[in-house]
Amino acid sequence: MAEVTLTNVSKSFGDTRALDNITMTVPDGAFVVLLGPTGAGKTTMLRLISGLEHPDAGDILIDGQSVVRDTPAQRDVAMVFQQYSLYPHLTVRENLAFPLRSPVLRTPKDEIRRKIDEVAEVLSISHKLDNKATELSGGEMQRVSIGRALVRDPRIFLMDEPLSSLDAKLRADLRVELKRIQASLGATILYVTHDQIEAMTMATHVGVLDSGTLIQFGPPREIYERPVSQYAAQRLGLPRINLLPANLFPGAPPGAVTIGLRPEQLIQGEGQESTVVRVEHLGDQSRLHLKLKDHAITTLTDVHTLLKPGDSVAIAPSSPLYFDAGGTRIE
Amino acid sequence: MSASPIDRVAKATPPKLARKIRGLSDRTIAWIFVAPSIFLLLAVNIFPLIWTINLSFTNFKANRPGREIKYIGLRNYERILGDSDIWLTMQATAHFLFWTIALQVLIGFTLAWLINRKFKGNDLWTTIIVLPMMLSPAVVGNFWTFLYQPQIGLFNYVVSFFSGVDPSSFSMLGEVSLAPWAIVIVDTWMWTPFVMLICLAGLRSIPDYIYEAAAIDRASKWRQFWTITLPMVLPFLMLAVLFRGIENFKMFDLVVQLTGGGPGSTTELTSINLKREAFEKWRTGYASAYAIILFVTVFGLASIYVKALNKVKER
Repeated sequence: MAEVTLTNVSKSFGDTRALDNITMTVPDGAFVVLLGPTGAGKTTMLRLISGLEHPDAGDILIDGQSVVRDTPAQRDVAMVFQQYSLYPHLTVRENLAFPLRSPVLRTPKDEIRRKIDEVAEVLSISHKLDNKATELSGGEMQRVSIGRALVRDPRIFLMDEPLSSLDAKLRADLRVELKRIQASLGATILYVTHDQIEAMTMATHVGVLDSGTLIQFGPPREIYERPVSQYAAQRLGLPRINLLPANLFPGAPPGAVTIGLRPEQLIQGEGQESTVVRVEHLGDQSRLHLKLKDHAITTLTDVHTLLKPGDSVAIAPSSPLYFDAGGTRIE
Repeated sequence: MSASPIDRVAKATPPKLARKIRGLSDRTIAWIFVAPSIFLLLAVNIFPLIWTINLSFTNFKANRPGREIKYIGLRNYERILGDSDIWLTMQATAHFLFWTIALQVLIGFTLAWLINRKFKGNDLWTTIIVLPMMLSPAVVGNFWTFLYQPQIGLFNYVVSFFSGVDPSSFSMLGEVSLAPWAIVIVDTWMWTPFVMLICLAGLRSIPDYIYEAAAIDRASKWRQFWTITLPMVLPFLMLAVLFRGIENFKMFDLVVQLTGGGPGSTTELTSINLKREAFEKWRTGYASAYAIILFVTVFGLASIYVKALNKVKER
């Protein structure tokens, strides 16, 4: 397992600046989740570390050694591609065996067999091992693609939205399983996702990307509680953070333009009166959609709430986040 | 309101005919539509085949229409299969088939592989390489006879330039040992582009991300070629071999133009031999039996091959 360091890495595709001067250190054994909308540069970052792309500027180090001149094979990384990238003419078993059959490894036959069976068990694809890769459903393909990374023992795992096309139950199972594998192997993982639950539950570190720049890098709790900007604050938290004009509530510090309120930062039962628009009972929680002076607010409330649309609820902020005109958070 | 095409056709149909058509079932109408094609197929394909089978059991000669036609059983077949000259033409055909296909697949695949590496101007190169295929075989045969000319031929000149042999000391088309290779060279020159195009289609069908996955899986370029490129192009390659095999089994124009089957009968391929039997010696019954034997051979080989091809595709 290994530490990964990016120093001043930039990459452009034609006129598009995919990554702009990124500096980041992924500690050995970290589970780093990269967050950001499509086009933020998440996949490009994985491809640069894997060696499928070369940076225009900057250096990439694995365990302190510069790897920018190395081939993907020399870097010894495993990657789960978003589009599965299975070998269509091979069976599932052959797909899983492919990385192990590398002449560099010289893995004995029964060892290959044992590893494949083990990984297939974890990903519940044992019954599909002799199928051709093209005969699988999307979710099964994605699991095989994860399996192809897991059979190896690489220095770094790179995963590009590996759970995105799975159904909810499988996703929850594999989330736990991936976390367990990471803990038991002590693996270093870089993981791209849109899913905040994956980010919050699996990550030891989160990197927030915005059109090619790294906005913030740190433990998920830190990013949740102390986001550097409005943009970073919006990446985590469900329901999403409510962003309202700062003057809506008293007590805003000078320069504050926007107030950010997460559900737990809204005290109900005191302060200003708002109107209930809608109540969503989700079972383990209830979501409350409120309206305060024409501003929509979403928060959580008691599971057994008796509130109905039209009722009024008093709300007040409690240690909220404040942002200035440029979106930067004010301490 | 503008009438739909159906309405317009319906209105344009004379009432008398319309009344007749209205009484027909869908099935009948379907038959009416298909009938012309079926009739043509029967007239130009099936009937001649049956007629040829029939003639193959007779001593019929087409240049003696008045003569009585005698059924002689399997005598034609016995004579053909016992004739050592025919086995020589079969050998010449096999030699021609084997070497043209082997060379065309090898060179065609290599060219496709080179063209597929996206370099500047590869479209132009593709066009240039494909040119020979677009020429008429008669033209190709004609100008290669000039290239093979011992005194003035460019081919002999180039060979002598590289090997130092006197260019007029050998004649590609005139010597028994060289003529079979002369026709292989010309056919390869003309038809390698075809194999290249099919291989190129195969290579382009392999998505880049598969190679990316293989690079991550630490497969060397060499291993990527053997485990990904070749297996995925194989169905295309086999299709090219099938096309070339069928085409060259009935090879006629190019070789007639080049050697006319000579010297002696060293380049007399079966199709040329057959034409000689049928339309120079006018042994129609005999030639019919010959044609049937070839038909069965090609049909048998082709169906075995297509089965193998399907198996490869399923993999």
